[in-house]
Amino acid sequence: MTINIALTKGRTEKMVLPLLKQAGLDIAPIQDKGRRLIFNDDPNYHVILAKGPDVLTYLNGGAMDVGIVGSDILVEQRNPQYDMLDLQTGQCRFVLASTADFDPGIARRKIIATKYPQITQDYFNTIGEDVEIIKIEGSVELAPLVGLADAIVDIVETGETLRDNQLQVYAELMPVSTHLVVNKLTLKQKRAEIQQLLFNLQEAIQEAAL
Amino acid sequence: MSKRNLPIGTRDEFGELALKKVQLTSRLQQRFIASGFAPIKTPVLEYRDVFDAMAPTVENAYQFLEESGESLILRPDLTLPVARVMSTTGITPPTKWCYVGDVFRIKKRHSVGYYQITQAGIEIIGYQSQKAERECLLLAAELCRDLGIDDVTLELSDAGFVDTILAELPAVAREPLKQALFNKNLTAYAAQLARIPQNPLTEFLQEWPWLFGDAAAVLAKLPDLPAIQRTAGLLRQTISFLQRNAPELNLTVDLSSQTPQPYYTGLAFRAYAKQSADYLFSGGRYDRLLSSFQQTLQPAVGFSFDVDALSRSLADQPQQAPTLIYFNDQQWTDAQALVQATPNASLCLVDTLREAQMQAQSHGASLINLTQEVAP
Repeated sequence: MTINIALTKGRTEKMVLPLLKQAGLDIAPIQDKGRRLIFNDDPNYHVILAKGPDVLTYLNGGAMDVGIVGSDILVEQRNPQYDMLDLQTGQCRFVLASTADFDPGIARRKIIATKYPQITQDYFNTIGEDVEIIKIEGSVELAPLVGLADAIVDIVETGETLRDNQLQVYAELMPVSTHLVVNKLTLKQKRAEIQQLLFNLQEAIQEAAL
Repeated sequence: MSKRNLPIGTRDEFGELALKKVQLTSRLQQRFIASGFAPIKTPVLEYRDVFDAMAPTVENAYQFLEESGESLILRPDLTLPVARVMSTTGITPPTKWCYVGDVFRIKKRHSVGYYQITQAGIEIIGYQSQKAERECLLLAAELCRDLGIDDVTLELSDAGFVDTILAELPAVAREPLKQALFNKNLTAYAAQLARIPQNPLTEFLQEWPWLFGDAAAVLAKLPDLPAIQRTAGLLRQTISFLQRNAPELNLTVDLSSQTPQPYYTGLAFRAYAKQSADYLFSGGRYDRLLSSFQQTLQPAVGFSFDVDALSRSLADQPQQAPTLIYFNDQQWTDAQALVQATPNASLCLVDTLREAQMQAQSHGASLINLTQEVAP
C-alpha cells in the first residue's frame, strides 16, 4: 500500500530529505521539483509539500497518512494524531526574550507578543502567572522594541536574530525539533508499511548521530 | 450575515447524503427492533454532570447555563443518558435498548469535519455473560454485510490490559510509560523504557507500542503472565467465535491503545473498512457506568454505528432519471398510485400542461400526462 506523506516545505524539507533518502525514498524528484507540489512517481510513497500548519490539516482530514512537521506546530495546534518519532533535525528552542531593561519580577500583568499563543499560555500557566498575549504573525522581535509588549515568546536557533535586535533570553521554555506524525486510523490500515518506514528512519537517525 | 450563514462545524443535509442517512438509520433501527431491542429517545440537552464519566473529553461540548445556574450540555454521547434513565426509572434489567440520534463534539475551528454526528446503536443492560458482547458483534457484522460493506476489519481490545501490565512495573514508571504508549510516541516511550530496570517483561515492553494488528500475531506475543490470562482467554474465545460465526471479518487485536471511551471495563471493539477515514462502529463492555449514577453495579454492553462514516462507505445509488406526473383534479388517486409505482417520480402541481412541460424540461425530467389536455 502507498504511504502518503505530507512534508513541511522549506527549511524542514531540506533537513529531512537526507533522512528520507537514507530510509529508502527516492528523493531526486523532490530535490529537482521546480514548481511541483505533489510527487507520486514512487508507487510506495507519495509526497506532498505543504506549509507546516497545513500538514496537520491534511492529516486530520485523512487525506495524508504521515506528516513531517515541527514540534512547535504540533504543540501549538494541539495535535490529535500520533506524534511518533522525533527526527532530531531542525532543532531549536522556545524562549522568553526581551530588552535588557525588562524586569521578569515586575508586579503587574505583563504583555507578551508571540506567534504561538497556546504555547505561551501553557508556559505562563505552569509558572502560575497570568499574562496578556498579543498574536503577531512575524518579526516578533519588534514588539518589545517599539513598546507594544513587555517581552516575546519565540523560537530561536542560534540566538543571532535576538542579539542583532538587542534582545536577551530570560527563560527557556522547551526544545523544538522536526517530528513524524501519523494519522491514528491509517496506522491501523497500513501498519506494516508505516512500521517499516519508522524502523528505517530510526536507523537513519542513529547513523546521522554517529 | 448570521441570518444566511451556518455556525462553524454544522451543515445542512439534503440530496443524496440526506437520502442515504434516512434510509440507513431506518434500516438499522428496524433491524434492532426486529432483534428485540426497544427504542429509547433521550433529550439532546442534558445536565453536564451526566457526562462526568467522559472527562476530560466532555470539555469539547456545547455548554449553556440553565436559569438556576446549572450547566447544561448538548449531549456528546448517547450511552451515558441511557445509563441515567436506567438509574432513575426503576426499570428492572435485563433490558435491551436501541437508539438513533445526534451527538455534538466540538473540534478545532476551521478544521476538517462536523460537530454534529449521527449515531445508531444498542445497549444491552444486565447481562454478565460474554453472550452480550457476541450479540453486539454479530449484529454489527451482519448489518455491515447486509449493507454490502465487505472489507470490514474488526479490532478487539481489552480495557483492563494496559493497567494490568503496568501494575507489574515500578509505580513511578507507570503513568509516563502509559502516556507515551497511548500517544504512540516512540521517542518518549524509548526514553521512559530506558529508566526501567531489566525485568522479565523487558522484551515485551520493547514491542508493546506495535502490539496491534493481525490477531494471531499479536496474541503470540503476549507475555507468560498469570495476571493477563483473563484478557488472553477472552480475546481467544471471542476470536474463535467470530471466525466461526462471522468469517468475512478481518480480525485484529490492539493491546497498546486507549479504548474508544474511558468508561469501558472489559472487551472493547471497533471496526473500519479499508478505505474509510473513520471507524464505522465502536463499542464495548461498561460494567461500572451505572454505579456512577447509583450505588449498584450493573453489567452492560453496547455499540453504535457512526452513521455519517457508514454512509460515506456506501456506494452512491445510481440515480434514476426523475419523472413528473401531470394530472387533473379528478385523477388524484391514479396519479398518487403511479407516483408510488414509478422510481424517482413526483406529482407535478401546476394547472396547465404547458407549465408542466416547462418544468419537466428545466429539471431534466420525463413527463407523464394523465389528462386529455393537448399542448398548444
